Amino acid sequence: MTLQVKQLSKQINKHQIISDVTFNWAPGEIIGLVGRNGVGKTTLFRTMVNHYVADAGQVLVDDHPIQQAPTRQREIFFLDTQYNFLSNYSLKELPDFYSLVYPKFDRQRYGELLRHFDLNAGDQYRRLSKGMRAMVNIILALTSNATYLILDEPFDGLDVIVRENIATMVIDEVADQRKGFLISSHDLNELDGLSDRVLLLKDSQLAHDYNLEAIRETAKKIQLVLPDKTIPAVLKEHSHLIRVSGRVLVVVITDYTDAIDQQLRALHPVLLEELPLTLEDLFRANLAHDTGYQLLK
Amino acid sequence: MQNQVTKLIWRRHRRTFVLAGLLSMLVAVANDLITLHGLNQTQGHYELVKASINHWEVYNTSNFPAYSFWLLIVAWLLGLVLMNQDLTDNFNQFLFSSGFSRQRVYWTKLWQGLLAMLVIVSLTLAVQYGIFWVSLPARIGFHLAWPGLITSWGYGLAGSLGMFAMCWFAALIVGQTGALVVTLIGFTLSLSGVAAIFEQLDSNGGLGWNLSGAQVAWLSAGSWVMAALILFIWGAYLYQHLSLEHNGEYLLFPGLRVPVYIVFVVYVTGINGFNGTDTYSTIISFLVSAAFGYFWLWRPGIMAKWHRWRSQREG
Repeated sequence: MTLQVKQLSKQINKHQIISDVTFNWAPGEIIGLVGRNGVGKTTLFRTMVNHYVADAGQVLVDDHPIQQAPTRQREIFFLDTQYNFLSNYSLKELPDFYSLVYPKFDRQRYGELLRHFDLNAGDQYRRLSKGMRAMVNIILALTSNATYLILDEPFDGLDVIVRENIATMVIDEVADQRKGFLISSHDLNELDGLSDRVLLLKDSQLAHDYNLEAIRETAKKIQLVLPDKTIPAVLKEHSHLIRVSGRVLVVVITDYTDAIDQQLRALHPVLLEELPLTLEDLFRANLAHDTGYQLLK
Repeated sequence: MQNQVTKLIWRRHRRTFVLAGLLSMLVAVANDLITLHGLNQTQGHYELVKASINHWEVYNTSNFPAYSFWLLIVAWLLGLVLMNQDLTDNFNQFLFSSGFSRQRVYWTKLWQGLLAMLVIVSLTLAVQYGIFWVSLPARIGFHLAWPGLITSWGYGLAGSLGMFAMCWFAALIVGQTGALVVTLIGFTLSLSGVAAIFEQLDSNGGLGWNLSGAQVAWLSAGSWVMAALILFIWGAYLYQHLSLEHNGEYLLFPGLRVPVYIVFVVYVTGINGFNGTDTYSTIISFLVSAAFGYFWLWRPGIMAKWHRWRSQREG
């Protein structure tokens, strides 16, 4: 089973918003989609699910183009957080709509999750707080039992508790490899520890498709305290400086080898320790020069 | 599959159908009560329905319209609300990603809307006729005849269908509710101008048809049905290509802007030209419609340029 996005393009008011976007997505994957605000992440989602008519390209589910086989679209769940119809209904009415569209919609679990997160089924969606709405959105996504779940900025503006709840639910859900998530964010920290693959959208195109596990196998983040303030040649040549504070350096070395390790130890640093490597570090090290990632911050 | 989409559309619009039905019957009751009150002021024997009900012609008197004008307004509102509500409430987003083909959604919504209209019309007529049937005093006669009823109902239903189709189609291509209502009111009122042109041509023998009253009614009904069919089929094509990035703009299909502009200018100028008294007024109507149409259809760009110019001037 796989979902393929093939050469998808969309122009709005004569501006090319997404151009020739191609990627594959399999159940079990949690893919992060990152890019600056306004780069076209939401447009990509809306075009994928047919809210916007694509100028070119197609989306295929198990090799069936959804334009020709619309029922395949039921394998994809996307709830537009900006434009949705939920505001006019109470939470208990929503399954009446979703169960007609998603054949495997789990009403019982929907009710259980509402109760678990102290959400009142009788409340109108429009009267909920931002965090509560985000929870309802994720509950609808999970209980739809669609294979491919698209979440657009699900953590935006939420407190840490709600974020953790959502992240935990997402991770639990992919454990059996039957579902996949595509999660957009303009903040890399939100995707840290969640995504195993990251797509970077830049200048209307998919600039990079990164497998984070592969990168993490060879990359290291090191904190060094050197005897003097001079930055040694080995670091200039092989590392990306994350932070410099006097004699204390934090660097990311994307291709860490034994030879580099020996050269570093030969400097007789006062301290040489490995730090946890974050998604943000990787992007700084890999992409700062050629993707404009620094502009994300 | 069809069963599910039928349920989905019904679930979505059932409140609108019920509300429109209740409102329609309420108006029918109110009209009847007013008529009954007026009739109670009369003396002696009185026939509520005139003998002309026996002819194959549209029957319409102030005391008893066989097909109330209100039912045309109900169809007008129903067509508008059904298509516009899904756009403004963002239900189209849900429908378009629902896994039902757009054509299936479109035709299901259409037949449900038309069926609802038919039910509302039937119930309203039943209430309207029923109240007279049971409430009229013995001195007031209430005698109906099939020729007048069938003609009036057929003509009325065709008109309702036309009103429904006109609003349905307009709500499909116009993305701003306020502007849509203004446009539709303007166009609906202008139809009297079209009717006047037809009457003028017919009475002058310009058409060469020499139609009787009944023939004019059936021709009019046929025209409405034909127009409705064209609008429904054209609407199906457009619905298939509806892309929601233009939500909130006046025209949801930017490619229609120039054709709409040309049709608007020709239509307004044509009506004024036929109904006007001199060439001067035709030229004025052409200039006004050309300027107004241009401003109306291109106003986002014009207003943006205006704001830029003003801020530069102030800055």
